[in-house]
Amino acid sequence: MAGKTSLEEAVEKLKAGIGAENVLEVKYQPPRNVFVLVKTEKLKDAVSYIMKNLNYQYVITITGVDLIKQNQMEVIYHLTDYSNTISLRVRIPRDNPKVPTITDIIPGATLYEREVHDMFGIVFEGHPNLVKLLLPDGWPEDLHPLRKDVTVQQIRERLEEERKKGVRGI
Amino acid sequence: MSGEYEPESIFEIPVGPQHPALKEPILLHFKIEGDIIVDVIPRPAYTHRGIEKATEARNYIQNIYLCERVCGICSFIHTLVYTQGVERLAEVEPPPRAKYIRVIVSELERIHSHALWLGVAAHELGFDTLFYYIWRDRELVMDLLELITGNRVNYAMSTVGGVRRDITDEVAHQIKKGMKIFRERLDVYTEVVEQEPTLRKRVVDVGKLSPHDAVALCAVGPTLRATGVKRDVRADDPYQAYDEIPFNVATYHTGDVLAQIVVRVLEMYEAANIIDYALDHMPGGPIRVKVPWNIAPNEVISRGEAPRGELFYYFKSNGTEKPERVKIRTPTLANIPAVRQMLLGYHIAEIPIVFASIDPCLSCTARFSFIDVKTGKSWVWDREQLRRYSLKWYGKQ
Repeated sequence: MAGKTSLEEAVEKLKAGIGAENVLEVKYQPPRNVFVLVKTEKLKDAVSYIMKNLNYQYVITITGVDLIKQNQMEVIYHLTDYSNTISLRVRIPRDNPKVPTITDIIPGATLYEREVHDMFGIVFEGHPNLVKLLLPDGWPEDLHPLRKDVTVQQIRERLEEERKKGVRGI
Repeated sequence: MSGEYEPESIFEIPVGPQHPALKEPILLHFKIEGDIIVDVIPRPAYTHRGIEKATEARNYIQNIYLCERVCGICSFIHTLVYTQGVERLAEVEPPPRAKYIRVIVSELERIHSHALWLGVAAHELGFDTLFYYIWRDRELVMDLLELITGNRVNYAMSTVGGVRRDITDEVAHQIKKGMKIFRERLDVYTEVVEQEPTLRKRVVDVGKLSPHDAVALCAVGPTLRATGVKRDVRADDPYQAYDEIPFNVATYHTGDVLAQIVVRVLEMYEAANIIDYALDHMPGGPIRVKVPWNIAPNEVISRGEAPRGELFYYFKSNGTEKPERVKIRTPTLANIPAVRQMLLGYHIAEIPIVFASIDPCLSCTARFSFIDVKTGKSWVWDREQLRRYSLKWYGKQ
């Protein structure tokens, strides 16, 4: 199918563009998606290469995944030219989760970075306004609900504590 | 509200979280000079229900019903994209007949959602006659959906491996009859949109968005297509039976609220055509295959075109009956940066229709608080008062 070959071509070009040694893993998902793991320091290069040289236009969303067994977090950027999708990902240490922002390359990514920051506490360095997006105003700053070591029971108890302290809006 | 503005005369107006044009809560923090909008800061933080966390505690079948309840209006497309993702995870292919039934139900849902939106938009413009007519005709589609699935909303139709109910010949006949009547009604609405001066006065050149901005801000769905960008997941990344069904991607070039209306009316025609074609070419055979309870470690993405734009799911499985991670991106979140751009430079009176034009699906209510920063004076308007203000303001023009 034509779509798949153009996706394979895109991955080849990306490897050539940012250096094959910086692409750690490539995994195809039919019909038109590929997961590409790159080194964190090459993330911005890879994103701008895909957007500018491969002519991909938009980021569908940014997904955070907590890999608690490996003591890592994963950030996946789903970039697309509307037909093919390159799901570019980086793995970062769980105790100090930091990645550079891509909002200077794609303005439309700003809300997605804020959402991942809310849910996983991943810091997007250089984001113009990394404040809460989806969680309520009174929500504790250090409680990131989608982390695997946070249980629903813990969230309930913590919010109850905060309410007793007089915090409103949760 | 006349004369010259001083730079320090910028008012801040929090609109919401109890909201103007919608049924769901969002806070839009407006900065206003005179009555011109100079900045908007959206804060959609009032309906977070923790669904992504909840999916990790439930099995794949239970999650169908959970994901169905992400949205009330476009509930079927959520189950479609969810079940499509789980089928890809398990590497199972649904039977062809199930794919066609999914297409038919999702297109019927698109018609009912667009008709609902058109009614709401007409109401925001003070054109309640159109609102009542279109909601009456929408009942026709709701009845068909009830006939097929047994429910008016939350159809519980798509399941992992196929669909739960078949479309019989008798039902197919009813759907075709319904589509014929609905098309005739659509002709009337097309005429209204093309010729009615009171409607055109409110929507032409209002809430303009350029194609460049729409793409840069990652807008999706009719909001993107209203700027002339021909992008639709159904055509670009076809799923289910869409690669076997011919259809046009409706676009319009002006990028204003009128374009949003035109695109949605055209899409309703297209949806009716797709339904007719799918009914004529529906293959026979089973409607469901079995899928194993536990799914081996894998990860996939799943995309679909919801009435409001692209709906996206990401899945990661871990070998058990429960997913490791499910990520949901709904189209409204993608369109918020675009609607911010659309509001800049327009009047307070245009907030309801411009914000309504992306067909936002957050949650809403009815209270506006206006604060004059300079004097500290504040007053509160509910949605009806704002609507009246907007109608009165336009009456003077």
